[in-house]
Amino acid sequence: MSKRERETIEEPDVQQLQPEAGAKIPTEGIGSESVEAHALVERIQRLQAEFENYKKRVSREASEREDRVVNQFLLDILPLYDGFQLAFENYNRDQDAEALVSGAERIFAQFEEIFTGKAVARIEAIGEPFDPAFHEALLSLASEQKKNTVIEEFSPGYVRNGRTLRPSKVAVSQGPSQAKEDGQ
Amino acid sequence: MKEKIIGIDLGTTNSCVAVLEGGKPEIINNAEGERVTPSVVAFTADGERLVGRLARRQAITNPTNTIASIKRKMGTDHRIEISTDGKAETYTPEQISAMILQKMKEDAEAHLGGKINKAVITVPAYFNDSQRQATKDAGKIAGLEVMRIINEPTAASLAYGLDKEHEQTILVYDLGGGTFDVSVLEIGDGVFDVLSTDGDTQLGGDDFDQRIIDWLADEFRKDSGIDLTNDPSAMQRLKDAAESAKKELSSRMETTINLPYVTADASGPKHLEKKLSRAKFEGMIDDLLQRTIQTVDAALREAKKTSDDIDQVVLVGGSTRIPKVQELISSRAPGKINREINPDEVVAGGAAIQAGVLAGEVDEIVLLDVTPLTLSIETLGSVATPLIERNTTVPTEKTKTFTTAEDSQPAVEIHVVQGERKMAADNKSLGKFQLTGIPPAPRGIPQIDVTFNIDADGILHVTAKDKATSKTASITIQDSSHLDDGEIERMRQEAEEHAEEDKKRSELAEVRNQADQLVYAAEKALSDLGEKVDGAKRSEIEDQIRRLREKLDANADAAELRLGIEELSKTSQEVAQQAYQQAQGAEGGSAPEADTAPSDEGEDDGEYIDAEYDEK
Repeated sequence: MSKRERETIEEPDVQQLQPEAGAKIPTEGIGSESVEAHALVERIQRLQAEFENYKKRVSREASEREDRVVNQFLLDILPLYDGFQLAFENYNRDQDAEALVSGAERIFAQFEEIFTGKAVARIEAIGEPFDPAFHEALLSLASEQKKNTVIEEFSPGYVRNGRTLRPSKVAVSQGPSQAKEDGQ
Repeated sequence: MKEKIIGIDLGTTNSCVAVLEGGKPEIINNAEGERVTPSVVAFTADGERLVGRLARRQAITNPTNTIASIKRKMGTDHRIEISTDGKAETYTPEQISAMILQKMKEDAEAHLGGKINKAVITVPAYFNDSQRQATKDAGKIAGLEVMRIINEPTAASLAYGLDKEHEQTILVYDLGGGTFDVSVLEIGDGVFDVLSTDGDTQLGGDDFDQRIIDWLADEFRKDSGIDLTNDPSAMQRLKDAAESAKKELSSRMETTINLPYVTADASGPKHLEKKLSRAKFEGMIDDLLQRTIQTVDAALREAKKTSDDIDQVVLVGGSTRIPKVQELISSRAPGKINREINPDEVVAGGAAIQAGVLAGEVDEIVLLDVTPLTLSIETLGSVATPLIERNTTVPTEKTKTFTTAEDSQPAVEIHVVQGERKMAADNKSLGKFQLTGIPPAPRGIPQIDVTFNIDADGILHVTAKDKATSKTASITIQDSSHLDDGEIERMRQEAEEHAEEDKKRSELAEVRNQADQLVYAAEKALSDLGEKVDGAKRSEIEDQIRRLREKLDANADAAELRLGIEELSKTSQEVAQQAYQQAQGAEGGSAPEADTAPSDEGEDDGEYIDAEYDEK
């Protein structure tokens, strides 16, 4: 095997730094100031690279964390899945309709328990003034109710920690005056 | 710190804002926590102004005072009449657009924690002077100095850094929520030249959703006789389900649309359950997709280019996630398809890059290189042990501590390799050197720090240092990061193709190392314990050692080696235990150590790996 590897003894890096375009710094007889400047540029580059690598690590960790959060939530709801599976396994079409319903009710109660634990709250809709922060209007209907009142809820909405998870899908009153007009 | 300039993609259906942070565009979340903001403005009865998601949610209750798609009216004399509580007011398209821009500005300010006064805004390539001027004016009304108006396809190309490459022809295919644009560009010396544009202002992802909705309603009517189209609640559920089915079919071959209790009749509740395959969905939208391809052809003709002239294809807009879209485009324009950046955000990202250039930020920050491939050294069993992972930004430095594989090993060889394969021989060899003069010591005892230091120019300095003697040796490798793209791609692909087989080989190497270590430890134990081991046990162990050695020499597979390891480690444990008991029973003195494990005080990762010593 060849023993003639390119072998060098460690040496200071200063000479290998490329000056920025346009700023031709003489490499011979450089004063202590430019040596210092070179060292600073190198330090900044190292810091910048370290920051880039840090960002990469953080984003990798964030996606790992996201994965863990999803896993944790799945663990929370797996008992519900188990519950339904047991319910269907034990269900006999001819006899157990009532038992199935009461089983389903328990599973649902379990579900509500999880939601409460996670601070999920249902959005009040019917009879409330329409608020796009919480409600999404699917329909606008003439009615005797005050204008801009939610008169029907098609599907419920939920909030968590002050943020709307999903708005309620609602119908909103156009108010009585319009109702009269429409009636004509 | 220089003043930040934001980049805004002011879209027909959605808008998006980004800023350059540390040389890379970052999308800014809006106040609602979303990355894109619907381009919708509303004036409510109580005089409140809503922009974005909230404006969209209330649109149906307030149709006359909710404005969507104002972009279509830019640069025209169109006026928007708003009457709230009897008060009538007239707005220009610029004023309405300004309200969207103002929200983007405020959200950016909240995110960045400071005033934002300047922006780069994108417009479609086909916008004429008055439309561009109107966009600029909208910015001014919003309190933004518009530093530059740039074309959306140009911004998308910037986001992919295509301006930095050689002169080339680019096709930008932009299929958004409600509009479709094709542009053919030529880039050279950082100058973007729009050769042609074409499109369809009324075609987009919403049309694909509608096809699924129609199909679902139709199927449901066939199955149950009930018409869902008059039921707003059911239709809303169909719409949501159609959109998520469409998205799912971009990654799966089939999805199930399941809407329990979608409606009810005299016979009871009705459920909707339909399987939709990707092929079926593609069939549904085929005519729409063919139309986009005809538009591509028309744009190419107008640019006087053929599909062979296209070097790069850039995909913009959420609907380009549909695999069929990508397939059709690559059949028509076989250039390299760029789709790594989120197609909903790529235009805003490009605008932020342009903004960064104007702010002088890009000049200021020298863009740093990354290592295209992993840099490793070869360790015992020819395994490539990584020091610097691929995609690490340079300059950077990493140190790991290694040790010897043989007793009294006088030198270690440091073999530097580059690539993603697990075995050193499969990677590219960059250089080798030896660190000699290691004082005689049992294997596993010497500590040799190996440091990889890559400077900003991509030059790799590898240094090995024996901690005991402080003796060092090093090598400088000039071209560790300047491989050509083809070579990098080839090496990555090879690594992927061989992943399975490489894993097996590196596992085998690991088991071999383990076997080798165990043989060494067992022999050492026998000699240390001397007469404390009775004759029968001694010959049993010696026998097992010999067998395991033979297996190693005969290149036995991992399973067989594991069997040998298991039997030998069991017997050696018995022996060690016996010796301890004897020692305690006899004199209560200290027992000799049966197995000296290498101390575990690595500096960097606390990791010890035997550096291979080539004995030839």
